[in-house]
Amino acid sequence: MSPNFKLQCHFILIFLTALRGESRYLELREAMDYDPFLLLSANLKRELVEEQQPYRRALRCLDMLSLPGQFTFTADQPQLHCAAFFIGEPEEFIPIHYDLVSIDCQGGDFLKVFDGWILKGEKFPSSEDHPLPTTERYIDFCENGLNRRSIRSSQNVAMIFFRVHKPGNGFTITIKTDPNLFQEPANYEDKCDFFLSYKACNVISQTPNGRFTLVVPHQHRNCSFSIIYPVVIKISDLTLGHFNGLQLKKSSAGCGGIGDFVELLGGTGLDPSKMMPLADLCYPFHGPAQMKISCDNTVVRMVSSGKHINRVTFEYHQLEPYELENPNGNSIQEFCLSSL
Amino acid sequence: MLVSAGVLLVALLPCPPCRALLSRGPVPGARQAPRSLQPLDFFQPPPKSEQPQKPQPQPVLLRKGEEYFLRLGNLNKSPDALLSPVSSPLSGGRSSNPSRDQTATNFFRELLQQRQLPRRTLDSPAGLTKRGTEHVLGGHQEAPERERRSEEPPISLDLTFHLLREVLEMARAEQLAQQAHSNRKLMEMIGK
Repeated sequence: MSPNFKLQCHFILIFLTALRGESRYLELREAMDYDPFLLLSANLKRELVEEQQPYRRALRCLDMLSLPGQFTFTADQPQLHCAAFFIGEPEEFIPIHYDLVSIDCQGGDFLKVFDGWILKGEKFPSSEDHPLPTTERYIDFCENGLNRRSIRSSQNVAMIFFRVHKPGNGFTITIKTDPNLFQEPANYEDKCDFFLSYKACNVISQTPNGRFTLVVPHQHRNCSFSIIYPVVIKISDLTLGHFNGLQLKKSSAGCGGIGDFVELLGGTGLDPSKMMPLADLCYPFHGPAQMKISCDNTVVRMVSSGKHINRVTFEYHQLEPYELENPNGNSIQEFCLSSL
Repeated sequence: MLVSAGVLLVALLPCPPCRALLSRGPVPGARQAPRSLQPLDFFQPPPKSEQPQKPQPQPVLLRKGEEYFLRLGNLNKSPDALLSPVSSPLSGGRSSNPSRDQTATNFFRELLQQRQLPRRTLDSPAGLTKRGTEHVLGGHQEAPERERRSEEPPISLDLTFHLLREVLEMARAEQLAQQAHSNRKLMEMIGK
């Protein structure tokens, strides 16, 4: 073989190896070799593992939990009206596991998990946006027992209602982080849709400030992002349609309740279906569009037909008290204040 | 003359206090009217020693913005379960946070101040007062012996957005504190 031919063969072999990903594998191995944690002694590793005990504390009659751990409620006296809220990161589900339950169902005690949040009869997600009917969103321990010992929410929020008459009775539950990964794919057209499915759908924001991208990829579903604060919201990017090569397929008839669109809702309750539409975004655009919404609850809701990949990126921060008192510019305040 | 005497008799008879709100008889666990300024408690029933002379629960309508929070009963009981630090032997004391308890105390105190405002007559929520303490959870829950789970409306919680934000912020503070604790432990481990 001539040296040139050998060189070409070597070049082709290297090129083919790179395409197969072997080089990335080798790079990964090198990184592992230099992993500083590999230098730790076995005792130190054991100490680290032992230190990672689950967080534990007592559960209060009215409580809110935003971190994983083990929580125990023990009634020191009859507790008849108790509820605990759970909230996670936007991309997380809430898995609830009953470790121990000691209640008297026959005596009027109950322990129920609700898939979502419900306040004053208003639910999030709304009945329109949740796959289950309202009655099925309640999982009653007294009816199911330990047959449904582990329950996972359909979004980043859940809550439990409980009543315990006898002092000393109670229950222990464990909450673990459950990122919205590894969902069993269903009818995804391509891998891109599968990965995009990792994006959260119905979300309640933990904070009054933040930034989020709501994606609904080829799914016939409506997704809501709720902020339970008066905020100024800035939408920086809206894509309604699927980018296929050089052609952008726009959604047709994107407003008026048909087609794909994004709506801004404002109201004083939790249920997006009972809130007032403040703005409809029917066409894709780039560049910030800002709006002040002085309502107690602001929702960005995306309505998707399933024919396209829709995406909206927005930022939000809480309105300051002086902004609530002195509205100016593009603000939607009259609706929420007019209902006082 | 007899007529005039009858009119005078009726006029001089003591009238029962007019109440705009209906109330029920004593209900086990029903809360009572407040007697002194104490931190509020949402769900704690009064101890038996504090059973009042007037058992009818007094509904309190608190209004903050558009958020209504209706609760019934005793405002005397200090919310030990809500404000006390964690005392579980499993907690390791890591979750005790005086600032968080102070926040809970503060918003309870704010509710107490709100309660000093004139009470409003309940119109549509008037039916809530008939159901005693059970209605804090919403739904049409009458006496427990009449409850049938299959016929119960969905249980809900009557909580204002203001209180919801308060407990949410407390949860966030707890999460950040726990994260800081974990980071500190990890750095101590690595530093050995």
